[in-house]
Amino acid sequence: MVTATNIVQRIPLLGKMFSVDTSTGLEEINAWPSLMVLTSFVWLAVAGLLGVALPLTQLLGLDSALYYTALTAHGAALAFPFLFQLMIGVSLHRTAGCLGRPVTGWLPALIYIFMNVGSVLLTLAILGGLKISYALMYPLPIVGVQTGQWSMDVVILGFTGIALVITTVIVLYPVQVLWMLFFGREREDLVLERRTLRDPGMLGMAMAVLVLLVAGIPILIIAGLILLGLYGVIPLTAIAWATEPVVFQFAFFIFAHNLMEAMAIMIVAAVYATLPLYLADGTRKLFSDRLAKLALWILLVASLTSFFHHFFTMFPAMPSALAYHGNIMSWATGIGGALTIFTILATIWKHGLKPEPGTMALLMGFALYILDGVSAVVTSNVAWSFQIHGTMWQAGHTMGVLVAITLMWMGVFYHHYPVITGRRLNRVKGNWFVVLYSIGAAGAFYSFLAAGVAGMPRRFAAWDQEGWMVYGNLVLIFGLLIAAGLVVFAWDLLNSREIETSPGEQTVAAE
Amino acid sequence: MLCLQIPFLVVFLYIIYRKGFANPDPSDADQRKLSRVDGLWVTFVIILFLGINIASIEYMPPISSARAVSTQQNIRDVDVTAESWSYEMSAREFEVGQAVRFSAKSADTMHSFAIYHPDGRMLFTMMLMPGLETPASIVHTFTEPGIYKVRCLEYCGAAHHEMRDEIVVK
Repeated sequence: MVTATNIVQRIPLLGKMFSVDTSTGLEEINAWPSLMVLTSFVWLAVAGLLGVALPLTQLLGLDSALYYTALTAHGAALAFPFLFQLMIGVSLHRTAGCLGRPVTGWLPALIYIFMNVGSVLLTLAILGGLKISYALMYPLPIVGVQTGQWSMDVVILGFTGIALVITTVIVLYPVQVLWMLFFGREREDLVLERRTLRDPGMLGMAMAVLVLLVAGIPILIIAGLILLGLYGVIPLTAIAWATEPVVFQFAFFIFAHNLMEAMAIMIVAAVYATLPLYLADGTRKLFSDRLAKLALWILLVASLTSFFHHFFTMFPAMPSALAYHGNIMSWATGIGGALTIFTILATIWKHGLKPEPGTMALLMGFALYILDGVSAVVTSNVAWSFQIHGTMWQAGHTMGVLVAITLMWMGVFYHHYPVITGRRLNRVKGNWFVVLYSIGAAGAFYSFLAAGVAGMPRRFAAWDQEGWMVYGNLVLIFGLLIAAGLVVFAWDLLNSREIETSPGEQTVAAE
Repeated sequence: MLCLQIPFLVVFLYIIYRKGFANPDPSDADQRKLSRVDGLWVTFVIILFLGINIASIEYMPPISSARAVSTQQNIRDVDVTAESWSYEMSAREFEVGQAVRFSAKSADTMHSFAIYHPDGRMLFTMMLMPGLETPASIVHTFTEPGIYKVRCLEYCGAAHHEMRDEIVVK
């Protein structure tokens, strides 16, 4: 039995929700993904509670330090150990099932350990006083020590955690996917539905991990050097260039920007792969594979250099031409988005749709993703950026993309759940989850944007300073709706029912 | 923004409702006709995106600042230094109609220099990265009198929310 199966089965309550079906012979593609998804949901619970705590600290007039602690911990828990780990788990299961490669051995174990140990270390550092927001705000970690806001010990602890997490994101996970794509022996018994790189779903996945690998290497080198300097392994004077804020910020945003783009490419690819399985006429084909692939290529090429939009207001010496290039490339991603919208709608229009909860989560998540995309290109325009950057508009964009991608991955997970666990979810509860989550996410998103237009700063512990509390109240109400949707989802997982068919039929039914 | 989002949402939800709930039967839509719709749709998006971005060039702060420099005889220079958690400014009172060049830098960590109109909307923001030789710079001409608030919009530590100041335009 795979180690991960043992771990899942021994976890109370959650073990029941995610227990791996060992009767189908698919344990080698299900065990680690199941454990990763399970753990990601634990982090989601943590992030959710902290998210609700943010407006509560403001409503109750609590100490601002609590707000900044909750803000940093919320972002740290939500972005990587929850969403990225959910994506890793589901995408590894998908890749394995499409290529017939097992997800076993030391690499998946290392991915799991690095991601979660790293996140725990970062959380401990935050609880120890490190309040740097999930964007690090370098050189704030060091300046905070110099101004007595926190100790160097928590900086070293936090940076160690961050190093483990980004090693997972930039190296271990991409290497695992690339290994499965290009190396190793295919096992017929593990193939759920054979796909190749000609398929838009697999192509997008390959693109995404390559983006992570390439765009992440500079920050990995710089963060690694700084960490070695903090440990005292190499003198900080020898790596003075790496500690310069301008160097760090460029490397950071080349990674952070492309991380989001890679996650977007991967989930769009997952939509391309999953939607055809739910077409009413059973054709299992997109309107046009060529159009879908063109959209992915446009998204890839345009997004790679659109990161300059992070520097419009930050780096005054940047030539206007580069700023405008970042502006145009950001909007060019919208062309890829337009093609994706058309491909999805034309596919549904032509073939009809089976509106299962998983499909609806995928489609509603996609709708939220497009709504967020429009807000993103607005803020990527140089002129508008100078008027809304640093406000809640930006926070709304970040939250929007994260909640949209979350809903889409949950839809994909909903689709794979029967194969992984041998159980099926309840349709009514599934629909309630999608409705509550979608309304909550859209409401919170627009509340954030309205707050941004009203000038409300992000990462700011004084919401009542200019009567901005009304937006905070709206965010809290819609946030609670999202939470209610997630509770329904968890309830559904807990009460899932065993599929009473033979293993072969289970696979066919689910795929 | 809503002009783009609302039509998308209406069409998207309508098609899902129509083909998912009302009439899920496959439609006999002609592939060529749909491809033509795709061509028109993408052309529309490209023209719209180019139109908006070309029109916005005039409002880009680097362009409007350059124009102000070339047309205004007297530009008032103001040096700003941001340091946790306050601003040091060489002037805080200005006149309506006069172009002011704010040149700002940070002395410690990431900050920003954002000016708010008395009605609460933000006029502009500049992020201030420490360690740069060239200060962030923008030329702005105030058109209305009043008390304008200055805020830091980049999280900079424990008292970030208290990092604010005021300027007066007469």
